[in-house]
Amino acid sequence: MTMDRNEMTRHAQLAAEALMADVSGARAVLVATPDGFDLAHAGALPLDASRLAAMVSSMAALGDAASREAAIGQPHCMVVDSSAGRLVMRSVQWRGEPMVVVLLADTSALLGMVLNALNGVERSMGTA
Amino acid sequence: MKDPKIVFTGTPGAGKTTAIAALSDTPPVTTDVRNTDPSLAKSHTTVGLDFGQVDLGDGQVVRLFGTPGQLRFEFMWQILAADALALVILIDNSRPDPLSDLVDYLEAYQTLLPSMNAVIGVGRTLECPLPTLDEFSDIVGERGLVVPVLAVDARERDDVLMLLDVVLAQVEARVDLGVEATQE
Repeated sequence: MTMDRNEMTRHAQLAAEALMADVSGARAVLVATPDGFDLAHAGALPLDASRLAAMVSSMAALGDAASREAAIGQPHCMVVDSSAGRLVMRSVQWRGEPMVVVLLADTSALLGMVLNALNGVERSMGTA
Repeated sequence: MKDPKIVFTGTPGAGKTTAIAALSDTPPVTTDVRNTDPSLAKSHTTVGLDFGQVDLGDGQVVRLFGTPGQLRFEFMWQILAADALALVILIDNSRPDPLSDLVDYLEAYQTLLPSMNAVIGVGRTLECPLPTLDEFSDIVGERGLVVPVLAVDARERDDVLMLLDVVLAQVEARVDLGVEATQE
């Protein structure tokens, strides 16, 4: 890894907290490495952060593979739209380091607002 | 019946992705990402699944699924093993404690293994002859299971085909005996 893990974790934590504050209806935010390690999280996760980090990395990689196989380019976001809430994840690059950010929201959160907030993650990490 | 599904599982670096690539008639679907775990001496690692297909002749196509190796992806082990016809467990004998590695997989699949067609392939046995295949077999036997243990090189298509032959022979034996397979 080219970047110091502690520095990356610090910025990831600030980004997670900023996302939590930005999105109405957000219950938790987690930032993971693409190979499934929890870098940072904020809010009340209903499951172990390490377990969610591994699941999110699997889902992001499956999204990448599906996009690649379907020849539709790089995926921006993945949404798990469930009866009592949503998981919305986005792969981001920060200073050359890929990460996966996932936001867990209740049904009151507007999907457009969540997507817009996730789009701003790289920017917020850069200024954190 | 839908095309049968064979699942390759086992330790990181044991050759699951390589084995599927060696066997698949089509370019395999992979979900490898850069590895950030310093304890794992590899640049990339599977975090979702591998997928390939092989025609065994007479139009009989087998679907090949590979799991991630790390324990943190254990949820994928269970998802991918659902409805599988057979399980191939690959162990890297150059890891610090290959016998303990095997125990992890035997425990993870303990509810499936008694009725599952399965084989254990142990890699890098030339460079690392210990533990011996007999020691792996002993661990399997201690759990009341009957699972063949073979030395394999996952890079060699013939070796991977041999693993498939072993589990498919088990399928045929179960059919002959009138024992229901795990697959629905």
